[in-house]
Formats: sequence, structure tokens, C-alpha cells
Amino acid sequence: MALNSSRVLDRNGPITDGWQRLADDEAVKTGASALVSFQRLKNEHNALFAEAAAVGVEIGGDVTLEELEPFLPRLGLIVVRFAFMRDGRPFSVGRLLRERYGYTRDLRAVGDFIPDQVLFLLRCGFNSFEVGPNFSADALKHGVAAYTVWYQRGVERNQTVAEMRLGKAKEQA
Amino acid sequence: MYIYDDFDHTVAQQRVAEFRDQVGRRLKGELSEEQFRPLRLMNGLYLQLHAYMLRVAVPYGTLSATQMRKLAHIARVYDRGYAHFTTRQNIQYNWIKLEEMPDLLAELASVQMHGNQTSGNCVRNVTADHFSGAIEGEVEDPRIVSEVIRQWSTFHPEFSWLPRKFKIAVTGAEKDRAAVQWHDIGLHIVRNDADEVGYTVYVGGGMGRIPVLATKVRAFLPKPELLSYLEAILRVYNRHGRRDNIHKARIKILVRDLGPEEFIRQVEEEWEASRQSGVNLPPQEEMRIARYFELPPLEKIAGPVAAFEDAKKQNRAFAQWVATNVHPHKAPGYAIATISLKPIGGIPGDIAADQMDAVADLAERYSFSEIRASHIQNLVLPHVKQADLFAVWQALGKIGFADANAGLVTDIIACPGLDYCSLANARSIPVAQRISERFADLDRQHKIGELQIKISGCINACGHHHAGHIGILGVDKAGQEFYQLTLGGAGDETASTGQLLGPGFSSDGIVDAVEKVIDTYLDLRQPAETFITAYRRVGPAPFKEKLYGAKQ
Repeated sequence: MALNSSRVLDRNGPITDGWQRLADDEAVKTGASALVSFQRLKNEHNALFAEAAAVGVEIGGDVTLEELEPFLPRLGLIVVRFAFMRDGRPFSVGRLLRERYGYTRDLRAVGDFIPDQVLFLLRCGFNSFEVGPNFSADALKHGVAAYTVWYQRGVERNQTVAEMRLGKAKEQA
Repeated sequence: MYIYDDFDHTVAQQRVAEFRDQVGRRLKGELSEEQFRPLRLMNGLYLQLHAYMLRVAVPYGTLSATQMRKLAHIARVYDRGYAHFTTRQNIQYNWIKLEEMPDLLAELASVQMHGNQTSGNCVRNVTADHFSGAIEGEVEDPRIVSEVIRQWSTFHPEFSWLPRKFKIAVTGAEKDRAAVQWHDIGLHIVRNDADEVGYTVYVGGGMGRIPVLATKVRAFLPKPELLSYLEAILRVYNRHGRRDNIHKARIKILVRDLGPEEFIRQVEEEWEASRQSGVNLPPQEEMRIARYFELPPLEKIAGPVAAFEDAKKQNRAFAQWVATNVHPHKAPGYAIATISLKPIGGIPGDIAADQMDAVADLAERYSFSEIRASHIQNLVLPHVKQADLFAVWQALGKIGFADANAGLVTDIIACPGLDYCSLANARSIPVAQRISERFADLDRQHKIGELQIKISGCINACGHHHAGHIGILGVDKAGQEFYQLTLGGAGDETASTGQLLGPGFSSDGIVDAVEKVIDTYLDLRQPAETFITAYRRVGPAPFKEKLYGAKQ
């Protein structure tokens, strides 16, 4: 079960969320959506996939993605934990999961990140955010609108500035 | 030089608006100092000993006269009338108020400048040869790829929260004036046997407490594939670089811990998996950027310039300035002029607002409005007619910047040290000033010849002491400032790490020690031998003997 004080947001604000975060020794409620540790997923994946309606996993930025790969087609949620605010590994993990491993379902960040980092997380493939009571949903909404053009292509396959320049040049030709 | 289009302007404006919002939230207490700190750092704002310090990016060291005037204006309105050019071609202001920062950034944005990524654990402002585009023998002007890298690294979604800061430098000539082997990534533009342009890529150089020269990870990287290769390096680093110990977080430690071979294998593997993913720049965009760096409309000048040759003959002081501060331009009849920001007894790199305006005037009148900042903390007028050099020199004399000491013993690099910096253990500036005064005699300086003294006030090595022919490191010994001496460092294509000579010296003793080292060199040098070549021939022994002999 998610911590009582925590909420889940997407880029537009709070969303309802049915995932239950389970401690490693906590039984799976049949038919529930179970969020478990990576260790538990590795140990009990057969039982988990049999009992739960959906299975999600929480990983850290230090994850070995090759180990996670076999489970990806059956996972409904991947939560990547920021060990601390300046932990930059989730950004790479998100992008790799989306672009290299083709993971398409819910990708969520949790931990000490701040609203100002959310736009970059969205661009690296995250779509939901588990946050604490002090996290400002207004600041998130404001922050994700901070930039409208980018020099780099993100997971959302935006046009880069270079591509927009080329398009403009063609229009003018 | 590069000029923003609408897209660049949009990004710059949105950055100012974002930081205005962040400052507002900080002042209201919605952001804690811990949360705000990395945000302000990525806008160049440090909290120092006495006040906020702002580091403004001078991308690859290129400035226009208009930008220089704006920098002067900012010094007057937002600071105490002066600023400081740094060892990374940037400029710093020392007395900034947080609440004025948003307006200050808006003023910078109005002249296409910013403080983006001049601090923080991100890709820092890219540096390049300060003679780029003017010097003979370049494969390509390194500012082209530097601007490509500036845009690619600006607010990169994946690589803005790296384990530690990340510095990239580029040189386009055989002679390396950008110290590429001392950077996290060094790029040397080269041409292969098939006459294609590409890069020799170095990774994992760095100073700090563990000085390391970079590893050559690729002899030739084809030019069109640069950005995907940079992303591969950064992804390996972002995922696997250490985050548990700030002193072991630079990429040099990852290269060392994995071993160069394993590091290269991981980068190549990552690159193979991602090189087709559309990260590389479209060639048309590279060509678009390259056009901004074409030579200005120079006149065709044939044969020796009589006025210039005569002036040298008639004025010895001018001839001395030409000998040290003027380099040949690739166009006949033109020259590259170095403006020394190292007047005798001055603070290396410091410049007052009026001096900035005067330099802007000179650039407009004599150098197609172009100015460069060098990592040696000097300025450069890159495209001056030889016939105008005498007038330039006279004008520089009026603002106190006509010293004929570029590359000589008083052309000292020094970090701000304990006079300003919250990290420093010792003062750097007064040591630089006293060495400068000791060697004030210009004839003596010219006799000593090429010599780089570099001073850092702490082990973080912002004064590049590891790369100094003579390096000085300030340390704190039981509350006293002490100075260690290293010899034999170099930052050019023959890069090497200076070696510690022996026990440190007191603040009074360090100047005598430097003089003894230099006198020892003068005694033992062979004809035409510079300090560094002599040191490499004889090693540390004669210097040790002279400094410590009696004690041992």
C-alpha cells in the first residue's frame, strides 16, 4: 500500500491510483494490483503473476536492466526510486526502458525529486509521480510548461530545434 | 560568431522565466535552500564567502563588443564596477544580490548570454582554443562543434543530474591551446587518411585532488556521429559513476576503476545500441551553424606592412609587445592580438567596467567587433590589421592593459582563492601579485622567456596548478597559509602533471622559492631552451638541491 501521506500525480495533477505497495512479507490480496520490490519479484514471480490482478515493481537507479528484462512484458508498473534529489540515474533508466526495452506501461518516479525536475522526467519517459505531502502540484503544473522547445529529442519524440529549423527552411524554399 | 534565431531566443527567455519563478519560490520559502541550491548553481549562482557570485558563460570564449558592453553595464549596475575572467573562459561577478538575479539574467538574455550550466553537476560551458578561426593550420574552427555541443547539452533531459560536473574542450589545431587532455572529454579535430573530418576523443582528464591526463578512447570518430558518441559516454557515466563520494564522482575515477579497456568497451557497446536512434545532428544543421563562423570580410593585403615594420623598429616597447602578445593570423597582413589582463601587481583576470567598454570600442574599431576570452585569463582581439596594431597597443596603454607579458612569468593564472571563495584554504591573488611585482622588470621577463605559473588556493585546482610549468598550491597548515611547489606540468599537446618538489613554503617564502627555481633554470639552460624543455631534460634534482639542499 502506498504511504498514507503520499499521492500520485501525472503531468496534469493528482490521479487516483489503485496500486498497493507490499512489504516483502506481506501477502498478496487476490485480485489486487501489487507493487513489490525487485528482490521479491525475482523470488516469487510465478506466484505473484498468478495471484495479483497486476504486478508492479520498484527499482533503484542502480538496477541491472538485463535482469529486469524477462519480466517487462508482464509488468503493469515500474517505479524508479530517487535515492536523493540529485540522483540522475532514473533519467537514464527511464529512457532506456522506453527506447531500448520497449516498455510501454506505467513508469513512475518516487523519492526526493522536486517539481522542477518533472519536465525532464516526462521527457525521459516517466508518466506518473508518487510524491510526499510537501510536493506542490501547482509547482509541477507550472514546471512542466517551463519549456516549449528543445534541442534534444525526448522519449515523447518531439521535434528538435534542429528539425524545426529544417522544416522552416523547407517552407521558405 | 553565432547569432540566436527565434528558437534560441525562446529557450533563453523561458530559462529566465523559470529562474524568476524559482527565486520567487525560494524567497517565499516554498523551496528549501537544499532544493534551490542545484537550481541556482545551474544558472551560475554560487554562495561565496561574502556574497552571491555569478558565473556568466562565454561559450567557447567568444564575445561580441555588444556583449562586452552589457557585461560592463552589469558590473556597474548589479556589482561593484568590475568582474573577473576565469580559467574556463567565463566571467564572474562577486557581489550579486539574489533578488536581482532574474533581472540580471534578462539583461544577459537580451544580448544572447546566460549563466546556464556554468556550475552544477551537468555539462559545463564548452571551452575551445582562443585563437579559433584566426590561427593558421586548423582542420576546422572548433567553435562550430562547440556551438553544436552547447545546444545539445543545454537542458539535456537525461544528463542534467550527473554524478559531478562535466567539462568538454575542443581544439582544431595541432598546437593545443585548449588543454583538451585535462578535460572530462577532450576533442581534437583531425582529418583521417580518407580526408574525412572527425575527432580524436579523450575521456577522463581532470585536475582536483587526483590529477589525471585523459585516456584516448577513440583515434577517429566520424564527425556526423559525434552527438551519439557523446551520449554513449555520458550514459555510461550517468549510470555507473560514483555518487557516494564527491571526491570520487568525476568520470576520471570511473575510467580508472573500470580500467580504460573496460570503460571503452562499455561506451562502444552503448554506442552500437543507440547510434541509429536519431541523436546525431542533421548535416544541414551543422552547415547552418558553420556559416556563422566564417571569417569576417578581411581585406586582401599583400607583402610586408611598412607602417607596422617601421613602428617596431622605432619603438622598442611596442616591438616587445608584438614579440609576446601578437600571433600570426592566417590571413596576410592581419594579426591576433592578446590583451594582457595581468598588469604588474594586478589581480589576474580582473577587469573594470570602463576597461570592458574600452576593449569593446577597440574590438569594434579594429577586430570586426569580436573578442575572445582565453583560459589563461586574458582577452584576445582575433582579427586586427597589422597596420592597426600600433594604435591598438597605444589605446591599451591608456587602460593599463598593454603589458608585453603574454606567456611570460608574470602572465600568471590564479583562482580567486580565500579572498572570495568558500572552498579555498589559502589566498591566491596576493601571491600572484607579489610574484608579478618581483619580476616586474620586462627585460628580465623576456630573458626568462616562456613560463607558465599557475596558482590554486585549494586542492580543487581551479588555478590549474597541476598544469603549470611552475604550479603553486595553497594549503592550510594549522591555521597558516602554506604553499606547495610543483614543477613540470603542462596543458598543451605535450600535457603533463607537475610533480611536487618538496615541503611547502610560507606566504613570504614562496616568492623567494619561485625566484630560486627560475634562477636555477637560467643557470642550467641551454641556448633557446624554455623552462619546460629544460626541466624535462634535467628533472627536479637541480631545483630541489637549490631549494632544500642546505636543509637536507
